[in-house]
Amino acid sequence: MNQGMNILKKGDIFLVIIVIAAALTALAFYNWSRDKHKEGSSAIVKQGDVIVHRINLNEIKEPYTFEIEGDYRLVVEVSNGSIRVLEADCPDRLCVKSGWLRYKGDIAVCLPNKTMIKLEGVNDSVDGISY
Amino acid sequence: MTPLMEFRIKGLKRLVLLSILLAQALVLSIIESWIPVPVPVPGVKLGLANIIILITIIFLGFKDAVFVVVLRTVLTSIYAGGPVLFMFSAAGGLLSTTVMAVLYNRASRIFGLIGISIAGALFHNAGQLLVAMIVMEDTAVFYFMPVLAVSAVIMGSFTGLIVSYLSQKLERISIIRKD
Repeated sequence: MNQGMNILKKGDIFLVIIVIAAALTALAFYNWSRDKHKEGSSAIVKQGDVIVHRINLNEIKEPYTFEIEGDYRLVVEVSNGSIRVLEADCPDRLCVKSGWLRYKGDIAVCLPNKTMIKLEGVNDSVDGISY
Repeated sequence: MTPLMEFRIKGLKRLVLLSILLAQALVLSIIESWIPVPVPVPGVKLGLANIIILITIIFLGFKDAVFVVVLRTVLTSIYAGGPVLFMFSAAGGLLSTTVMAVLYNRASRIFGLIGISIAGALFHNAGQLLVAMIVMEDTAVFYFMPVLAVSAVIMGSFTGLIVSYLSQKLERISIIRKD
């Protein structure tokens, strides 16, 4: 069974190194640009290509929840400075596992329901609610 | 090691093999859906069915692999998922199968089965993100790509290793040998 030694070819090793290096660079760049002190304050909820909610998270006094209907039902919880998917009846519930979104660039996605929540800085959105 | 021999099996034998491979791909997909994924990133998964797709490319060729991918996607969508998930997994599956077949047929000297499997996993994820980007009209979904790439390398190596050993054993079985 010496063939086992030749299973890995040069191209394979090259591919692994390139992909891992690219992924780490992208992650490092993301963490650097995210700037943890700058909290995301505008939450954008999209269903398909339509923005269904745009919420200024800094103006939330009392936490509340709302529902998103679609192929599946999502319950979204909003509180001061953060937002999360509280409940979902989709199969994998990845959006729930994403937890609280707090910083600019954080996103939670529910592919089966074509729903996405992403956070932006309040200055990034021209038509913010504070207008 | 010479590149794996080109097997082209015809007729009834091909039909039987194809049905067995499809059944195996389906069973692996279903088993995989029972295993919870610890990372909250859409697209991170074991990719066990990829073992069967790559085996199909090696022993039956690209067209039959496309046949297995399409039927598997349709059938798993009926079992669990629905039309939206069908769109995502069909895009990922077809892109990944095409990339693996091209690499296997054209670049076997450079890439072994592990590299081909990793590339397949990478393009599976990329295809799904591409559909997500089109559906949502938002490039923010590519934020997931680095994590997906790392998981593709890990799981692609694992399934590629399995395919390496499996194909060596299968070559020796007389049923699979060319007439």
